[in-house]
Amino acid sequence: MTFSQINQILFEGFGVTCELFFLTLVFALPLGLLISFGSMAKLRPIAWVFRTIVWIIRGTPLMLQLFVIFYVPGFLLGRSPFAEIDNGRFIAALIAFVINYACYFSEIYRGGIESIPKGQYEAGAVLGLTKTQTFFHIVLMQVVKRILAPMSNEVITLVKDTSLARVIAVAEIFFINEMSLLSKGLIWPLFYIGVFFLLFVGVLTVLFNYLERKLSYYKV
Amino acid sequence: MKRILSVLLAVMMLACTLFAFTSCGEESDWEKIEERGYFYCGITVYEPMNYYDEEGNLVGFDTEFAQAVAEKLGVEVKFTTISWPNKYMELNSGAIDAIWNGFTYGDEDGVSRTEYVDFTYSYLENRQVIVTAKNSGLTEKASFAGKKGVAEGGSSGQAVAEELAGEDKVTTFTSQVDALREVASGTADFAVIDYQMARAMVGVGDYPNLEINGAYSPDSEVYAIGCRKGSDFTAKINEAIKALAEDGTLATLAEKYGLENDLIENIGE
Repeated sequence: MTFSQINQILFEGFGVTCELFFLTLVFALPLGLLISFGSMAKLRPIAWVFRTIVWIIRGTPLMLQLFVIFYVPGFLLGRSPFAEIDNGRFIAALIAFVINYACYFSEIYRGGIESIPKGQYEAGAVLGLTKTQTFFHIVLMQVVKRILAPMSNEVITLVKDTSLARVIAVAEIFFINEMSLLSKGLIWPLFYIGVFFLLFVGVLTVLFNYLERKLSYYKV
Repeated sequence: MKRILSVLLAVMMLACTLFAFTSCGEESDWEKIEERGYFYCGITVYEPMNYYDEEGNLVGFDTEFAQAVAEKLGVEVKFTTISWPNKYMELNSGAIDAIWNGFTYGDEDGVSRTEYVDFTYSYLENRQVIVTAKNSGLTEKASFAGKKGVAEGGSSGQAVAEELAGEDKVTTFTSQVDALREVASGTADFAVIDYQMARAMVGVGDYPNLEINGAYSPDSEVYAIGCRKGSDFTAKINEAIKALAEDGTLATLAEKYGLENDLIENIGE
C-alpha cells in the first residue's frame, strides 16, 4: 500500500472521530445544563431521579453503556432499531457519548452555578430583572468563566474517549486502522495516529487558553 | 420557573421511555429482511474470504458468495465488520443477520455452536493450522507445551491452541490477523488460525518470515453460515445455496479464489 492510500484510510477514520467529537459536544453541552437544573430542582423527588441517573452513568464504564445502547434494544424489541438505519452504529455511539458526557458536564455546571454568591441574584432582583433574566444574563455568564478549566479537561478527554466506539465496530480511526492496516502488519500508522491526536488536542489547548484570556475581565 | 422546567424534563424522559417500548412487530426474520430490502453479513477482514483489493473494493470468496445468494433472494447484502468475539450478541440483537465469514461448523469452548446459531448447509472444507516463525524449533506436538500461543477469541483455533500449550498460556484477540501479527512481532510463539487464511497470508506479503508448522494437524472441519436460532432465513439461504451449487456459480467462484479442491461436493445432501 502506498503512503497516500494509507493517508486516505486514516483520514477517513479521523473524519469519523471528529464527527463523533463535535456532535457529542453539540448535544451534550446543552443536555448537561438541563440535567444540572434537574439535579438542583427544588422538588426533591425530581432531584433524586436526576442524581441517580448521574450516579449510574458516572458509575458505570462507558464501554458498558455503548454495549447496552447498541445491543439491548434489539433484544427487547425483537429487531434492532440501529439495523434499520444507515450509520446505526455511529448513532448508537453518539447517543452513548452524549448521555455520558452530559452527566459529567452537568456536575461541572452544578459546581459553577452553586459557586455564584447569593448577592448576584439579589442584585438582579433589585434591578428589577426576573429570575430567568438574572440567571441567563448575570449568573450563567459568570459560570462560563469559572468552569472553563474543568470543561477543557473533559473536552480533551472526550477527544481520546472517541476511540472507545470501536467496541461496537464504529469505523473511527483506531477501528479502521486495526481492520485495514494493523491487520496487514503495519505498525507505524499507530504513531501517525498519535500525531493526529496530539495536534487536535494542541489546537484545543490553544483555543481554551485564548478563551480564558478573553474572559478574564473584571479580575481584581 | 425552575420547577416548571424540572416537571417538563421528567415528562420528556417518560415520553422517551414509552416511545422506546412501542413498535414491537411479530414478523419473521425473512419478512423483516424482505421488507427492509437488505440483510447484514457480519464479517472480519481476511483473505481469501472477505478482504479489500488494491482499489479498496471488498472482494473474496464469501463476499461474492453472499452477493450471489442475495441476488437469488432478490435483496441486497450489506457487509459490516464486527468484533468476532461479539458475534452472537451481534446476531441475536439483530445488528447482523448472518455470521458469514469462514464460520466453522463445530465447537466453541467445548459447547457446540449449534447451541448459539442455526447453520446452513456447509460449503467449504477447512482445518486449523499452526503458524510459527521459520526455524522456530517447534517440531513436534509436545514441544508446544508451555509456549505462548495466540488465537482469535471464540474461534476453533483457540481450542487447539489451548490443547497444545495449556489453557493459561493462550492469549486471544478479536480477529485472526491480530493473532498472526503477534507471532510476526515475536510476542507469541505460535498462532492457530484457519488453513484458508494461512494459505493466503503466511510466508508471503507482509509475513514472509512465518510458516505453516506441520508438527501437528488437527482434524478437518467445514464452513457454514450461522443464522439466528429458529430463523426462517436459514432455509432461504439454503435454497439459494443449492441453486448456486447446481448452476455452477459456486464452482466458478471457488476456482477464482483457488479453493476448488476444498469446495464441498453435492452441497445439501
